[in-house]
Order: sequence, then structure tokens, then C-alpha cells
Amino acid sequence: MKTLTTPRPPTVRAVPPARPRRGRRPARATAVWILVGPYALFLAVFGLAPAGYALWTSFVHDGSFSGARNWTAVLDDYRLGDAATHVTTYLLLWLPILLLTVLSLAFTLHARPGRTSRALQLVYYLPGAVTGSAAALLWLFMISPDSSPFSPLLKLMDIESATDALSGGSLIALLTVMGVAVHAGGWIVVLYGALNALPKDVLEAAQVDGASAWRTMWHVKLPMVRTYVAFVLISSFASGSQVFVEPTVLTTAAPGQISPTWSVNQLAYVYATQDGDFGKAAALSLAMLAIGLLAAWIVITRTRMYATNSTDSR
Amino acid sequence: MSEAMTAVSRGARALYLLGAAVFFGLPLLWLLLAPTRTADDLTTGSPLDFGSLGQVGEAWSHLTSYNDGEITLWIGNSVIYAAASVVLALLLCVPAGYVLAKQEFAGRRVLLTLSVVTMIMPPAALVLPLYLEMSALGLTGTVWSVILPLSFYPFGVYLAFLHFQANLPDSLLDAARVDGASELRLFWSVALPLARPVIALIAFFGFVRCWTDFFLPFVMLSDDRTFTLQLGLMSLLQSTGAVNNSSGFADLDIHQPEAALAGLVACAPLLIGFVLAQRFLRTGLLAGAEKG
Repeated sequence: MKTLTTPRPPTVRAVPPARPRRGRRPARATAVWILVGPYALFLAVFGLAPAGYALWTSFVHDGSFSGARNWTAVLDDYRLGDAATHVTTYLLLWLPILLLTVLSLAFTLHARPGRTSRALQLVYYLPGAVTGSAAALLWLFMISPDSSPFSPLLKLMDIESATDALSGGSLIALLTVMGVAVHAGGWIVVLYGALNALPKDVLEAAQVDGASAWRTMWHVKLPMVRTYVAFVLISSFASGSQVFVEPTVLTTAAPGQISPTWSVNQLAYVYATQDGDFGKAAALSLAMLAIGLLAAWIVITRTRMYATNSTDSR
Repeated sequence: MSEAMTAVSRGARALYLLGAAVFFGLPLLWLLLAPTRTADDLTTGSPLDFGSLGQVGEAWSHLTSYNDGEITLWIGNSVIYAAASVVLALLLCVPAGYVLAKQEFAGRRVLLTLSVVTMIMPPAALVLPLYLEMSALGLTGTVWSVILPLSFYPFGVYLAFLHFQANLPDSLLDAARVDGASELRLFWSVALPLARPVIALIAFFGFVRCWTDFFLPFVMLSDDRTFTLQLGLMSLLQSTGAVNNSSGFADLDIHQPEAALAGLVACAPLLIGFVLAQRFLRTGLLAGAEKG
């Protein structure tokens, strides 16, 4: 579950105490590798090897080396342009709305902490339990005017059947609503926790200086949690660019309404399974992997959320 | 600021929080109520009525008669895959996290960096490369193609790493060394007894991850008797003709209450887990933040 990765605040990093040098007896090295070896093996086989094998596959066609042939074939596929446009539009719509929802709710809740605020966090968080195909099923009901508790709203938007809400551009709107419902809650809890961890004296100082609640939020709290904000944006961008499950499941409910190659990952899946063209599948999924890696790299180097060098500290 | 202004801003705040609660809560509430009602009632009655518990039993018996009780098979598969992956992940993560936190050795930095990178990367990005690898090995379609990749869980290693770093003092290890304990013995008798909280945390998040995963089993498995519940839900929607016409769910063999019940079963373990383990969940979410 993406939203559950736990960020570390960049502010609190203890000065590493000197670590006593220990002898490197061979017995110790053996013990170390007995304990960490199995994990290292899994990391190699299920973390690195797939990428390496895909790289090799992407340069092979019909059993022989074919240079960039698979890559250019993917780039020339007209379906790629459509899929990339869909995913980009979805991200452009989803990311700002998600961020706005998370920030506004976390800040509003934090303005008055207490039992109500904790109960509301649970309400916002629970939809995170309904993911994947269950989420698609639930939201199919939510967009069917016959059964939906939101039917007045649907009527207002001129949606007379579930199919209406799945056709054309409205699919992106539906995915955005689903994406916010499923993912916002986890981030709200994380951001609320980050706000709680802010030093009290700074906030009090702002209050003493007569800053309004709004000014305190905008000029004091927001700058202090901006690493978290960046983290929410980057990891949501990374996971959103891989969108696959929702359009896949929604397609089965309304065949013909949504293209089976609607998203980039869906296209790569079609290459691999229906076309049986592993070379093209490898090339496209490596391009998507590069996006994920880039996001991970930005998180590590720019937000300092996961300080691996502080691992030398204790 | 005048009192009237304060009242207005307080009202606006309450209205915003309440509106959000409706947006997040209403679909769930509907999902909880839907299996208690008949299909007719669902389309004609008011959206949030409660039917009867007897109706839930009826919907369940309809569900279990679908394809000779395939749904119980899917539930069993989901449980088995998740349990196997979580146990295997724990066996790999806890010792690895301990060693990375407490021992100097060549390759440590590389392992840590690779773990963090693979942890931050969206898991979906590796699914198709894994599929290519598994089909080269001839493992696609087997349970191993799902269980093995899922038991590689770098986030679990990271949690164990943080836990041992914060809660296992070097002095404790050194004292045991002086007493002549071997390095393996140290892990078994000193580190492991202190690891209970992090074992629970890894098991919880690992289970959530395995139970909800869709893309990986979807790509790897093709025989519907090996499906997980998440995949089964989709095939249920597909083969019962779910929303084939513009009138929504009207011509389902399995009707709306049955579909809603299946959806509810699919997310029930997580809903229950999230409600029961609230405090635990919060510490998990913020584990890194608090131990920094």
C-alpha cells in the first residue's frame, strides 16, 4: 500500500556518535551473511533481475539482437500517444485536487485537535481499505443513478447511467474522485502527525505575535511541512503514472466504453499477453520503470526523507 | 475579530469537515447496508435503508452457488497467498533489518540504498518485468509467481532496520559478546525477543499489501481457480454481465446485493484491521518520523 510508507522528518537528525571499530573475524562475516543473505538473494532475484532481464529482452527480436528496433516500434505505436495523454491528463487533474484535499483537511483538523478530529481522521482513512477491484466495484455503484446515494448529484451532472460516467473524458473525472477517496486519508494521517510533531514554541511565538490562524498556517506551518508535501506529490505522481487496475476493472463493466490500452501500463500488458511481443513489452515497461526510479531518486536526494547515510549513525 | 466572524468561520470549518466526512464515509456506509437489502429495494428504495440480516444470508448463499462455490476458493487462495508471503517476508526482513542496523560489513551501503530505492518505487513498475522473468523460468500460472515476488518486502526491512537502530543498544550486544555468545546467538537471544512490536507492524502492513494486490496476480495467474478474491471480484463482474447495458446493474444474474457483499468481503479484513488497530496504525504510519 503506497500511502503507508513512513517518511522521516528531515529536521531531526542526530549527530552520529562515533562507532567503535570492531574486529572483522571471519566467523562474524559468516554470521552476517547467514542473516542477510536470503534477503539479499530475494533483492537480486525479484528486485534487480527483472529489470536486467527486461533490458536484455528489449533489445531482442525473434531470438536475435535487434538494436533499438523494439523501442522505435513502441514509439511509433499510435496507441502510446493516446495512453500517455490519458495518464498525463489524469495526473494533472488528480494531483492538485489530492494535494488540496489533503492539505486543507489536515490543517483544518489540526487547528482544533481532539476526539472529534481523531474520529474524523478514521472516517477519512477507512476508504483506503477499499482498493483495487473492490474500489472499482463500489464506485460503479456510486455512479449508477438507480442505486447511488449520490443520485441527486448525478442527475445534476446529467448522468443517466453508469455507462455515461465511464465514457470519454468523464472516466478521468471518475478516476480522480476514486483516487482522492482511496489515497487522501492515509496522507491526512501522515501530515497531521507531522503537524503534531512541530515544535510548540514556534507556533506559540506566532500566536503571541498576533498572527491569525490563516497567516500561521500559510507562513509558519506550511513551510515547515513542505518536505512532506513534496513527498506526497512525488510518490503520488509515481504511483499515478502506473495506473492500471481501475481502468482495467471498469472496462469489464462497460465493454467498448474504455479502450483496453487506455493507460500506458495497460498497453504494455497488451504487448506482453495478447500480442505476445515481449520485446515491446519490455521496452515500454522499462520506460515506466525509469519514471518510478526517477521519482525514487528525487525523494532520496532532494527531500532527504530517507537518510541512508544517517544509517552510519548508531 | 468580531464574535460574528468567529461564529461564521467556526461554522464554515464544521461544514467543510462534515462535507468531507460525507464524501469519504457515504460510499462505505452504502456498501455496509447494500447486502442487507433486496435488488428491488436497492434501486427503488432510499439509498441508505437497512434491509434485514436474513437478506445477507440469502445473498451469501447466492454467492456461494456461483460456479460451485468458487468464491470460497478465492477467499482461501487470498488467505494462503497472503499468509505464505507474510511469513516468508518476516523470515527475510527481520534478520536483514537487524544486520543492516547493527553490523558493519562490505556491501551494507549498497544493500541499504537498493532497499530504499525499491521501497519508494511504485510496485506496479516491476510487475511486467517480473512477468517476463517468470515466464522465462516457466513459473507463470503457479502460486510461486505470486508468493515469491510478494515476499520481497523492502519496506519491512526498513521498518526492522529503524526498530533495531532505535531500540537495541550496542552495549547490550557487547555485553552478550563478552559472555561469549556467538553472532547468530546474539540475534536469536538478544535481538529477536525485542522485535515483537516490529514483527507485528511488518505482518500488518505486509498483509494489507498482499491482500489488496491486483496487478501482480492478474498478470501471473490465468486459471480462475487459482485467483485471489481481488481477481475473483473482477471475473464475477465480467461473467455475470455486470454493467452491460445502460440501465446499470439491472440484468445481473448475481444481483447488486451479491456483488456488494462480495466487495465487502474483499475489504472486510482491512476495514476491521483499520478500526481495531487505530493507535497501532498511527504509530506505523509515523514510525519513521518518531524514531528519526
